Amino acid sequence: MMNNSPSERGKQLPARAPGEKSISYRELLFREMIAIEILAVVLVCLALVWNAPLEQLADPLHTANPAKAPWYFTGLQELLHYFPPFVAGVILPTLIVLALIVVPFFNVNIKDQTLWDRNKSQRLMSLAIIAVALTVLLLHAGAWDATIPVLTISALMALAASWAGRPVGRFQNWLSGKPLSFWIMTWFLMEAVILTTVGALFRGPGWVWVWPWRNS
Amino acid sequence: MNAQLKEWLRQNFVASPVRRFGWASLLLLIALAVAPTKDFFNEWRHYQRQYRKFISTRPDSLILQHHFTSGIQQIWLPQLAVVDRCTTCHVAVTEKNLQDPASVPEPFRGHPPVAHNVKDWGCVICHRGQGPATELAEAHNATRAWEEPILPARYLESSCGQCHRAPLTGTPQLNQGRNLLGRYGCVHCHTIKLSDGSRVKPTDDPPSLSHIADKTTREWIYAWLKNPYAYAVTTTMPDFKLTDADARDISAFLIANSTPVARDTEGARNPPAEPTAGASLYGESFCASCHAVQNAAGNVVGGDVGPELTRIGNKAKPEWLRAWLRNPRVYNPETAMPHYRFTEPQVSLLTAYLGNKSDSDLLANVRLDAATPEQVAHGKLLVTTYGCAACHEISGIGKPDNFAPELTRVGSKPLTEIVFLPGMKRSTPDYIATKIRQPRSFGAGLKMPQYTLAPAQIDALTTALLAFTEGAHDLPMALTIPAKALANYQPAGNAGELMADLACFSCHAINGRGGDMAPDLSSEGTAVQRPWLEAFLKNPGTLRPALIRRMPKFNLSKSEIAELTDYMMTVYQTPAFDRDSLSSTSFPPAQVEQGRQLFYSKYACQSCHIIDTKADKGYIGPTLTQVGSRLNAAWIYHWLKDPQSLQPGTIEPNRNMNDEDARALTAFLMTQKGSSNQGRKK
Amino acid sequence: MEKVERKDADGAIRNPLTALARWGAELKHMSRDRVREPQLGFRHTWYLGALTLGTFTIQLSTGLLLMLYYHPSIPQAYADMKNLQFVVSSGFFLRNLHRWSAQAMVLLVFIHMAKVFYRGAFRPPRELNWVVGSTLLLLTLLLSYTGYLLPWDQTSYWGVTVGSSIMASVPVLGEKLRFVLLGGNTVNANALLRFYVLHAVILPLSVIALIGIHMWRLHQDGGMYSPDSEESEKSEQP
Repeated sequence: MMNNSPSERGKQLPARAPGEKSISYRELLFREMIAIEILAVVLVCLALVWNAPLEQLADPLHTANPAKAPWYFTGLQELLHYFPPFVAGVILPTLIVLALIVVPFFNVNIKDQTLWDRNKSQRLMSLAIIAVALTVLLLHAGAWDATIPVLTISALMALAASWAGRPVGRFQNWLSGKPLSFWIMTWFLMEAVILTTVGALFRGPGWVWVWPWRNS
Repeated sequence: MNAQLKEWLRQNFVASPVRRFGWASLLLLIALAVAPTKDFFNEWRHYQRQYRKFISTRPDSLILQHHFTSGIQQIWLPQLAVVDRCTTCHVAVTEKNLQDPASVPEPFRGHPPVAHNVKDWGCVICHRGQGPATELAEAHNATRAWEEPILPARYLESSCGQCHRAPLTGTPQLNQGRNLLGRYGCVHCHTIKLSDGSRVKPTDDPPSLSHIADKTTREWIYAWLKNPYAYAVTTTMPDFKLTDADARDISAFLIANSTPVARDTEGARNPPAEPTAGASLYGESFCASCHAVQNAAGNVVGGDVGPELTRIGNKAKPEWLRAWLRNPRVYNPETAMPHYRFTEPQVSLLTAYLGNKSDSDLLANVRLDAATPEQVAHGKLLVTTYGCAACHEISGIGKPDNFAPELTRVGSKPLTEIVFLPGMKRSTPDYIATKIRQPRSFGAGLKMPQYTLAPAQIDALTTALLAFTEGAHDLPMALTIPAKALANYQPAGNAGELMADLACFSCHAINGRGGDMAPDLSSEGTAVQRPWLEAFLKNPGTLRPALIRRMPKFNLSKSEIAELTDYMMTVYQTPAFDRDSLSSTSFPPAQVEQGRQLFYSKYACQSCHIIDTKADKGYIGPTLTQVGSRLNAAWIYHWLKDPQSLQPGTIEPNRNMNDEDARALTAFLMTQKGSSNQGRKK
Repeated sequence: MEKVERKDADGAIRNPLTALARWGAELKHMSRDRVREPQLGFRHTWYLGALTLGTFTIQLSTGLLLMLYYHPSIPQAYADMKNLQFVVSSGFFLRNLHRWSAQAMVLLVFIHMAKVFYRGAFRPPRELNWVVGSTLLLLTLLLSYTGYLLPWDQTSYWGVTVGSSIMASVPVLGEKLRFVLLGGNTVNANALLRFYVLHAVILPLSVIALIGIHMWRLHQDGGMYSPDSEESEKSEQP
């Protein structure tokens, strides 16, 4: 790989499995263009039917309640509700960004050695400690919705560990073969989805819990 | 067939990537073309097409066609930050021919005539709604992007009040509402600031409670607090919905807190004469000009300057009543009640008469044990909690500042700041009206008391409050039409003190200050002759027997009459002309005769005035039989030339008399000296 | 296999569109002669990268048109929203499309990231491109956030106020950072102008540049990632 420059490799046609079809790049371009156009049609129809939200003229004297951030930040806002701003607003996002950047550099994925091949009990123990500590921390802050992914993921990891090394089923073996980064990323995505959904839909004036189908 | 179609579809749509791409592109283009199409078929174009169709069948089609401009119409008022596009659909607001509601449908109807031109003021200044919008729903209704919907027509007068602070003839509801705001004392608790920094002032005069034990009993206070309306139907005191215990404790506190007023405690010296004498003295003193009494039929008869007296006997202690009738200023120096200078027998008569005005049921069930210190302390707490001192003076309790929410901008209160009741319409006018109608329905702990108001009064109050908008408060000063400033005129010297004692300003206005019950006296010195004024003050009579409200007799002494007459004759003169510029005596008989003829033929004055009590039937204006001994010649002359310049608003018509006619009529009128020396100006 | 070869022969289909497509392909020197069928299939990439690029193109074109009607000043910014809605021909459509396409772009970028991660397409030699992609995700969020303020309505004002107060909670530098971003201590006219410049000039240019790098690297690192091909490449390594 080191002596194989990327440009050289780019010109190569990858090895082909028997029976596979190869298609010109032009066709890929067409297919992607068609996908873009279909998306564009969908968006155009959306734009024709649904009006973009617009509220009253900004008024610094009258606080909107709840003052909600754009939907993609409501997860952060939900965290802000539980943790001090410095933790939820600064440390966590910075950690997330850093984690995203270093993911490929820390990924030591050698398929033959899964997470559970060595030191299984030791690793399970650290997993349990981390999961319990995180749950206690989150519950202490009152962030019960953020504990859902922690519990789900740690339970799945424990299951995966129990499946490791013995033939159980395709899915089970696939899951037990997953590296740590997979679990962390899945946990992060789950947290993001749950917190964002809660923040965007289930929070009303004073950031209290409301059911979205119940109009205030 | 089906297979063929499938094959055809496959070939044309999916067979080659280029075709697929082509079809997708076509679909996108079609989707993109929908937006301009939607734009072409939008609402305002539809209305403009309808309008053209509508006017094409009318006889004045050509003119209307000529006035019509297609496309989006806009009225822009940068000074008021207003962009109005209402005239895009309401294309014919300025068309006078299209004002008939029966034949012209909306949105094409012309605006009814108003003082303002729509081109100068736009629409939303008065009607609210979203001016920039060109769609029906967006322009008229409350939306997330524009909370202020069209103002319901019943409150429309409030819009006038945003700029016009003074009463307008066209806005009776607004004027009434503003009066009620002062009269019911709303502004004691709720601050309302005007754009010039001044505040709306209350016009009621809630009595001081610092000496209340002199005046009434604890039982009466208890009954009154429980239900003020049971004592007097016209009262402006609201019902605080107090529990029995709370009313008991407040009454205990008020009695305990009261200090006696140093006064003459003389009892009844003269036993009261027959009751009819009391009634006739009540009538002769014209008490009813200011005080109302509910008659047997339940109708309230009388004026509303002073409190209703239907059940005064239940309330006022006889010794207090006696002292009050002798001189009300001892108990309350600020009272609007004149110091009548009744004789002792008269005081006794009236005290007995008023003491009999009572309702035996009112206090029948009130049994109060002696107050405990705890009750008094709790009563004090309640008095503070309910802000009694915001209206009433109570010794030891300061007037609370901003006791209730400020209402300076209540007319544009954001909906997000309002807590609506379930099932209530989400609009500011409805909120205000409901809050006035049932203040306590918005929560258990609320303090605002329950007022007894008629639906029309609630509408009027809502209208007046809706005028206090953000825009009205921030209005450029150049655009406000301020109310006439309340004059603080104070007559000087002994005469001034005498006039205060007699409470002249309760009825008469002078130099901008005072009531409107009796004639304005600012130019009285120019108008009348001194002997007449002296005689009138000694024994007031009237030229209009039909009037219920008249000047009462004050039993003034000779020196007091001289003092008052001197002051009025010297000070209250019009700057327009000199009182003595025309001789009041010696008119040539020919001129007098010419005047008589002008009076009876050319100007037909007898249709409103009476000179000959036997022949003339004019009852609209005052009787003129003694006008020659009442008025000065110069005043009559100038009055005839231009009555409105001397008394704005008088119904006497301006006949555009030439000098000669005016002189002749003056001469004729000055000879009408009558038999008696009594009379009243106009 | 025969069919595919025939398509590649070029002679059968000749029209301006194919010519244009070839031009595009040749100009970018991205044309690998062949891609394998699995790489083309929707189920492998969901065309997420292309779709994101598509939304960004929509953003550029509608954004440019919207710039013709928008003044970054108070209260004209809000009045311009009303004008777009009620007066400008198809103005409502432009604004709606820009708004919905923006939401779609944020969503697609997120999904793109997750998809790339789960497919393992971030592994060497693409690790730096993953970082470029992550940066693009952040820039997309910033673009959306700066655009959020521009209508100057209650939602945007308070949304941005909440956001900027988070920034102010950074110790020592927080207040200064917010001052730089907003041009003041509160969200005001300066903030609107700054957000406008960021939204309409600085961020789009950065995104365009990074998208260029992203795609160039994608091509240089062997085109679209396919787990099997990487595996086979790996196995070929010494």
